Amino acid sequence: MGGYGDVQCIDENGIRLDGRTKDEVRPVSIETGVVPVADGSARIRWGLNDCIAAVYGPMEAHPRKIQRQDRAVLDVRYNMAPFSTTDRIRPGFNRRSREISKVTAEALESVVLTELYPRSKIRVEIEIICAEAGTRCAGITAASVALAHAGIPMTDMVVSVASGKVHDIVVCDLNKEEDNYGEADLPMGILPNTGELVFLQMDGDLSPEQFQEAWDYNMEAAQVIHKEMVRALKGGDE
Amino acid sequence: MSIPLVPNLLRAHLAELAAEDKRHDGRGQFQGRDVELEINCLPRAEGSARVRMGDTIVLAGVKFQIMTPYPDRPNEGGLMCSAEVRPVAGRNWEAGPPSAESIELGRVVDRGIRESGCINTEDLCIIPGEKAWQVILDVFAVSDDGNLFDAFGLAAIAALRSATVPAERFEVGEDMPLDVSKTPIMCSYHKVGGRFVYDADKREELGGDERIHITLGDDDHVHSLQKGLKGIFTAAEFAEINEQARSRCAELRDLVNNALEGE
Repeated sequence: MGGYGDVQCIDENGIRLDGRTKDEVRPVSIETGVVPVADGSARIRWGLNDCIAAVYGPMEAHPRKIQRQDRAVLDVRYNMAPFSTTDRIRPGFNRRSREISKVTAEALESVVLTELYPRSKIRVEIEIICAEAGTRCAGITAASVALAHAGIPMTDMVVSVASGKVHDIVVCDLNKEEDNYGEADLPMGILPNTGELVFLQMDGDLSPEQFQEAWDYNMEAAQVIHKEMVRALKGGDE
Repeated sequence: MSIPLVPNLLRAHLAELAAEDKRHDGRGQFQGRDVELEINCLPRAEGSARVRMGDTIVLAGVKFQIMTPYPDRPNEGGLMCSAEVRPVAGRNWEAGPPSAESIELGRVVDRGIRESGCINTEDLCIIPGEKAWQVILDVFAVSDDGNLFDAFGLAAIAALRSATVPAERFEVGEDMPLDVSKTPIMCSYHKVGGRFVYDADKREELGGDERIHITLGDDDHVHSLQKGLKGIFTAAEFAEINEQARSRCAELRDLVNNALEGE
């Protein structure tokens, strides 16, 4: 997190660079079935973020040493396509995507009824096609929809969203400039039906009051995004 | 890519169909699947395309970097083509270092474009001996239902032709369209049930034998050929598919031209 930089992310009227007020979510649209050969798939477009998630399985887990006798293992990969950012990303191993894959797997394992599929594997592939900010949140949200689209039983879907702080103002659902020049980032993974959490990260600097405000923004945003997730799965009006 | 065991039954089924001059999805021997081409669909890329052929979906994105020219070619920039088939694209594609199959894919696509001479690397020079553009073309599979080669080839040339050199962002002049003088197009034929068919889908790939990839430029000049997998073919078979490739490449070239005119 840098200082204020020379970018003014919010004007005197409280309007952000993308025209939102501080408590608004970027436009979100979700569609399913975008990877026709997969067992379930979803695409989320969220601001400029464009993310595809595909689910394969449950299938036989191999090699056998990765099998669990009492449950399925979730094999989750988060990856950014080489052309997803301003500067090209070199394909291959990357510590950041490894960490995001790990915390995403752990979030999804908290809701998938893995005990129904002992000794099997469920593959979840998350590909960021275009990145703005909050790609890990887009990935977790898309993966939840893809799992539901594949018919994998879950206690709830995970909605993930990140609020934070820029110019000492707490804002909902950080965009690229706010992520780059802001002072705090609080991504959370929320179960929309209970308000419980399965994913939590934070970096930056927040006072206890600011932390609560960002937390509340995430909870409210989760409900907005959840509506779109359900619409994408069940059909119906926007 | 791991090849699943099944195909003996599938092979027999496809051979029976071939004997009656049929394909399992009802297409004719040299009939391709419907092709959708969309360009400039990736906002962070300097040129991009999305191709859909049946349930095969791919993306191509062009990025630019500044490089130091090689000492023996101080007036030239570079072109790099890399193909990635990540496990998102199908249940048989695995994570890890690029497989031989995906390296072959990238190299065959690269050769078709490079050898056609559609990009003059001397045009990419900014300051001789010091600065030149490196054009990086990344093709990416979203969904593999067979014939990634042709989908990659088509997306690749369409992305290049839609690309803008981002000179302003790198502070070396004004943005300009990338000069692409030709439109090489690849057509692939798979031996299925003892005869070659055009645009095989995944089942035909799994239950088939050798494949031949032909890249033709404007004026029907041939720019790259590749025979893949185990199998024997005759000169007469090659002559037939080469003839077929000419008309199909021309159709696909028109598709690219029309998509670019629509911009």
